[in-house]
Amino acid sequence: MTTQTVAGMWAAAVALVVCATVGEKVVSRQASTDKVTVIYWEKWTGSEAEEMRKVVTAFNHSQDKIFVKYLSISGVDTKTMLATAGGDPPDIAGIWQDQICQFADEGALTDLTDMGKAAGLDTSYYIPGFWDGITFRKRLWALPSTPASIALHVRTDLVPPDVNTPETFPKTIEGLDKLVDRISKKRKDGGLQLAGFLPSDPGWWNWAWSGLFGGKLMDGDKVTINSPEAIRAFEWIDTYGKKFGSKEVQSFQSGFGNFGSPQDPFMDGKVATEINGVWKANYMKVFKPGTPWFAVPIPYPADRPDLAGHTILSQDVLTIPRGAKHVKEAFEFLKYVQRQDVMEGLCTGHGKNSPLMKVSEKFFDNHPNKSIRLFDALARSPKAFSQPKVGIYPQMSSEITVAFQEVTTEQKTPKQALDDCQARVQKIWDTYKAQVAGADK
Amino acid sequence: MNKRDARVGILFALPWILGFMIFTIYPLLASLFFSFTNYSVLRPPAMVGAANYVDLAHDGVFWKSLSNTFLYAIGAVPLSAVIAIILAMLLNTKVKGMAVYRTIFFLPSLVPMVALATLFLWIFNGDYGLLNVAFKVVHITPPNWLGDPAWTKWTLILITMWGSGQAMIIYLAGLQDVPVSLYEAADLDGATFWSKTKNVTLPMISPVILFNVIMGMIGSFQVFAIPYVMFPDGAPARATYFYTMYLFDNAFKYQRMGYASAMGWVMFLITVILTLAAMKFSERHVHYEGG
Amino acid sequence: MSITTTDAKGDLETDPNASKPQGFRRNKTLFIALTHITLIVLSVTFFMPFLWMLVTSIKPIKETMTNPPTWIPSQLLWHNYPDAITYDSKELGYLPFPTYARNTLIITLLSVAGAVTSNSLVAYSFARIKWPGRDLFFALTLATMTIPFPVLMVPVFSLFRWIGWVGSFKPLWVPAFFANAFSIFLLRQFFKTIPMELSEAAKIDGCSELRIFLDVIAPLSKPALSVVALFTFMGAWNDFLGPLIYLVDQHTFTLSLGLQAYQSQHGGTQWNLLMAASVIVVAPVILVFFFAQKVFIQGIATSGLK
Repeated sequence: MTTQTVAGMWAAAVALVVCATVGEKVVSRQASTDKVTVIYWEKWTGSEAEEMRKVVTAFNHSQDKIFVKYLSISGVDTKTMLATAGGDPPDIAGIWQDQICQFADEGALTDLTDMGKAAGLDTSYYIPGFWDGITFRKRLWALPSTPASIALHVRTDLVPPDVNTPETFPKTIEGLDKLVDRISKKRKDGGLQLAGFLPSDPGWWNWAWSGLFGGKLMDGDKVTINSPEAIRAFEWIDTYGKKFGSKEVQSFQSGFGNFGSPQDPFMDGKVATEINGVWKANYMKVFKPGTPWFAVPIPYPADRPDLAGHTILSQDVLTIPRGAKHVKEAFEFLKYVQRQDVMEGLCTGHGKNSPLMKVSEKFFDNHPNKSIRLFDALARSPKAFSQPKVGIYPQMSSEITVAFQEVTTEQKTPKQALDDCQARVQKIWDTYKAQVAGADK
Repeated sequence: MNKRDARVGILFALPWILGFMIFTIYPLLASLFFSFTNYSVLRPPAMVGAANYVDLAHDGVFWKSLSNTFLYAIGAVPLSAVIAIILAMLLNTKVKGMAVYRTIFFLPSLVPMVALATLFLWIFNGDYGLLNVAFKVVHITPPNWLGDPAWTKWTLILITMWGSGQAMIIYLAGLQDVPVSLYEAADLDGATFWSKTKNVTLPMISPVILFNVIMGMIGSFQVFAIPYVMFPDGAPARATYFYTMYLFDNAFKYQRMGYASAMGWVMFLITVILTLAAMKFSERHVHYEGG
Repeated sequence: MSITTTDAKGDLETDPNASKPQGFRRNKTLFIALTHITLIVLSVTFFMPFLWMLVTSIKPIKETMTNPPTWIPSQLLWHNYPDAITYDSKELGYLPFPTYARNTLIITLLSVAGAVTSNSLVAYSFARIKWPGRDLFFALTLATMTIPFPVLMVPVFSLFRWIGWVGSFKPLWVPAFFANAFSIFLLRQFFKTIPMELSEAAKIDGCSELRIFLDVIAPLSKPALSVVALFTFMGAWNDFLGPLIYLVDQHTFTLSLGLQAYQSQHGGTQWNLLMAASVIVVAPVILVFFFAQKVFIQGIATSGLK
């Protein structure tokens, strides 16, 4: 190798470094000319992203000072936290309601209380359950993008004629159990063919079982994951493992397709009933049009009639990370999304109910979900509940899911699983209070 | 050794001297410091004494992830070593089509782990997975690879086997270094294939085995990408929740970087102990040329 | 060792089979046949997933989830490939896969350039220049191989955050320019096998160490350097945890991250498109390896990884 070759190699290396630096410049965010560019990170892709993009485009046309740039970011929550830590967060981040407390405790969010007040966005403007979800420690941290309430979806064609209407369908847990025994089918080889109901499908609200049986996960400052109601709920879940055989359920479920595909167990006719959100209708429309279904409120234990008409609330929310460069402009966009016509358009597009107190008749008439009035009524019910507002919620939620799986895979009894979970979460909560939540009080 | 040599030598080694300081010693010490603090990306570190270590000792999930990782390593390290050695010995027979075979065995090591994970997620699927269909053809009820906590670790170990290619290449190189004269001598003595393997091949490549096993052990302590993609949160019931996953979750999901740092130091101590143990063991069993 | 090395080479060369009994030749044929059969069975096992990946990449989506699975697609959908490349491009405003590929290439090439230059310099110093404390420092260097990456993850992240590099490619390639223990070790072993006389002769001619390194040692070390290059390439190409921590915007993602985004974000995983994308990711690496493997293995063998 001659000196020239070596020099050439070094030149190539230098050229590469230059290329990369230039390359990074190119891939870094491009600013629009004279307007203030607001960077907006959102979790959605596909048709849900398309609907939000329409809102963004309309907003950009509506005025000449701000340009909102919509970017789909996978793992938007972790990425937002990292970018905030890195000192270069987006101006708007679309996260989930259940992360607000953790983000707020970490100091990762801009306090929106004053701006919200000035814009007239207050408790009277929103359905109470949804307003509650965006406030924490008496401050406002986020504004809703699209909310949802949850109900039991039933396949009309898979239940007997005497219960195949919302009016005749069993209202209680006990009634549901009886129905499940009636309609579940096994294959010749012993495997499941049709499950009337499966507590682990889709498995997104494991933290909510306690609430659906009348329990609370937090009582004031105390963790109460193993409340008698929760144990009762998990014991009920356990009966399903015994009913079908836990191994059979596992192998049955491993064959379930993704919820956004025609192989979704509900669309595919593998489960006759499923707890799911208001968006389910939209997915059915896209992936298996013509699936016959109806929705009813989630059943309640027969001895707790006070729980009739309950639901779980969840929300996608818009936040302004701390350290965002264009807070005022970002809030302009947030405010725009809260306009009744804009919000109703977006929620119609996503097939969800509206978080706003006032809803137009037009919204109900044009909505793609035939049961939208039910979901709206459920959301307004005083019995509607969300996850507890604590900074350790992400951990609490994974711990409860583990307890749930320990029961469904028959590793622990319901009581044992919940007692262990309680001890662990209480410990995490005590440490957290001492180290994090206490620090900024 | 003269002064000029010393200056030039240190100048040449400068990238590593800096790298050693910046990317090894500083983080190692900083990590030790952080492990005695409560710290997140957005909050400055605050001293908490040994609280993180005390909490670790009482943290069931820590122990669970540690034992998961040990079980995985105990299964994966020896199995990969055996498979890699067998592959290398087969390829060392100089049969026709070496290049093609070699490429095929090495293929999985070239695939991004995430692509591999998604592919296997699908092959192991209980309903339409390729593997289960093969089982059903021969009328064996397949286990529930992805859903049964008793099986998920085995599924991962099995998948790790596909990645034996990298170790295979190193063994192959070791085998090609074994002097041909040794085999010829053994042939003259009428040695069988097994006795040649036992008395020539394995002793001659024992240093390579030691190296690979130590690296494999350290590698299996860092297992992350495949379970992270295949079993989110180590589902079901944390049967596949590994040490690095818990460390990552603490650092970047639960915002407990001090706690994560304590976990890091425990991991460091464990690998040091295991490496020393392996070296000690090797003193009796590893053959070095000329020694 | 129970074997004594006798010098019997001469006999064997004149007539390799003369001294062997009849049965031996039959055994040998059987042995070769067995080897082939084992190799083929194992190859099929190792190759099956890739064949499946290839087949799936040209299937219609409906056939990707049939029970039992089918090996032969009812129609060959070659447009899955362009579809995979342009997937989501309308919503994202750019072509995701070419973007990810470009990002991965930038990071990978820079890492390789950094690793080859820095490690060879350092290894040269450890192998062929005497300086005080060298051997102790080398022992320390070897010891650092046992430090798992997660141990250093948090402080290194804080460091890069402090410099303001989070969200850029720099945390992923800059460290490569500061050498690493494994590559140093590998190259040092190789450099040690080159006779010192070569250096001394060059020194008498008045060459500096740098000149000796560039003109004498480096050209002789191509196999070992290519091993370092390939290991670095593979490490950077497959890295998942690093990009997961440091890359923020989706248009800075690498292929590894991009593939994961594919799987988890789009409700109904488009298996056929995902597999087509995977084929595109994997194909160039397989080609590189296929053509470079000889040098690669020679490099490891001669550097004496032991």
